[in-house]
Amino acid sequence: MQRDGYDETVEALSAPVDSVNGVAASLTRLFPVSGAAVSTIGEFLGNETLSATDDVAARLDELQFDLGEGPCWDALNTGRPVLEPDLWTTQNERWPVFSRALDRREVGALFAFPMTVGHLRIGAIDLYASEPTDLSREHTQQASRLAGLVARAVLRIAVAAPTDEPMEATKHSRRTIHQATGMVLAQLDIPAEEATLVIQGHAFATGRSMMSVADDIISGHLAFQTGPAGIEERR
Amino acid sequence: MTDEQTQHPDDELLQTFALLTETLVAGYDVVDLLQTLVDRSRSVLDATAAGIMLADDDDTLELVASTSESGSLVTALQISAETGPCIESFVSGRIVSVDDEPPAPVDWAPFSLVASELGFRSVHAVPLRLQDLTIGTFNLLRDTPGDLAQRELVAARALADVATLGIVQERSLRETRTVRENLRNALRTRVVIEQAKGVVAQMRSISPEAAFAVIRDYARSHELSMSHVSAGLIARTLSF
Repeated sequence: MQRDGYDETVEALSAPVDSVNGVAASLTRLFPVSGAAVSTIGEFLGNETLSATDDVAARLDELQFDLGEGPCWDALNTGRPVLEPDLWTTQNERWPVFSRALDRREVGALFAFPMTVGHLRIGAIDLYASEPTDLSREHTQQASRLAGLVARAVLRIAVAAPTDEPMEATKHSRRTIHQATGMVLAQLDIPAEEATLVIQGHAFATGRSMMSVADDIISGHLAFQTGPAGIEERR
Repeated sequence: MTDEQTQHPDDELLQTFALLTETLVAGYDVVDLLQTLVDRSRSVLDATAAGIMLADDDDTLELVASTSESGSLVTALQISAETGPCIESFVSGRIVSVDDEPPAPVDWAPFSLVASELGFRSVHAVPLRLQDLTIGTFNLLRDTPGDLAQRELVAARALADVATLGIVQERSLRETRTVRENLRNALRTRVVIEQAKGVVAQMRSISPEAAFAVIRDYARSHELSMSHVSAGLIARTLSF
């Protein structure tokens, strides 16, 4: 059953995972699409496809990386899904080059979902169908939610990578971090776990310790707010 | 007791134990119980400040309740839990007392420095013991030098035992939980309270320290536990 598959995927992605390799494949099982790709995009984690079901999906993302335009960029920049159910009859003027480069013999519909955590832009999920296809409201909501979960998983994996050790939060810092978590969750109206991740992500992105970021939050030097393009810093 | 009567020094102690044991019998939230205990220790044991630290899974001590939320006291206790009387007491299972003369061991210098800067002249760490296991420490800081008097020693020991009982017994009637699980729960509750301090600090533009007082007053006046109030604040189902 579709719904069971969705719930299962939500559950699987909510638990700590080592990789998101299999995510693209589960997305094609859940939604009426031919293929899917999960990619990190932008300055934060670089442009890289983490999971793709097939060459077409991988190439679609590759193309968008190279051109710097396309639905996945739009999705990430606006923080909203980009739905192109019929590429055969409509042309999106926002990405003229990508639109021209697109091979319509292989792709009839394209759906991009932003992967963000707090103010951090992680990447996007691209789903394509070989023929024009409508994505239902429910499917759109489900895919959006999954993109958020995948974003968290990817961020956790990136932050846990043994390249640096900014996580040495001594006992001293913990209280501060918990208090800062409370402030961020109130600033953004998000759950505590997510607020911690925003602090962690900010620390990771700026190469600082969580404690020093937490200190800035408590002193009021750093705050977060919800802006037009998602969550942003307010200094 | 009437106003004209002079209060016997042990009346306060007796009232404290009556309050604590009543709480144990009536059902309680462990962090609230420990908070009451440290607050009471100021008058009962003539402490300038006090704090209870509990061991987490890695046997690292974390502060769960203290008479003040000020950063300097919290830091002093945390340093004591790294290198100082607190960890010494936890490891040895014995009461460790230290005052400014004779000077504390050399490697306690950071702790001694912070303590003396805050005006503390003696520190007494009492282990929270359960049979062979030490689960944390009860720390008393005073602005006078010298050891605890015999009477105070007995009282401090007894208060530490009440704290231990409070931790061990919580929910044990309803659920089978191990001491370790109860410890974890107490530490988790403290995390929730810290986060709630942040929420209130943000909403009211006040310091986390001031936010603690707000949460505590609200909990008291509504007869709720601090952890309950804190959880509501974090879930954004409660605001004040």
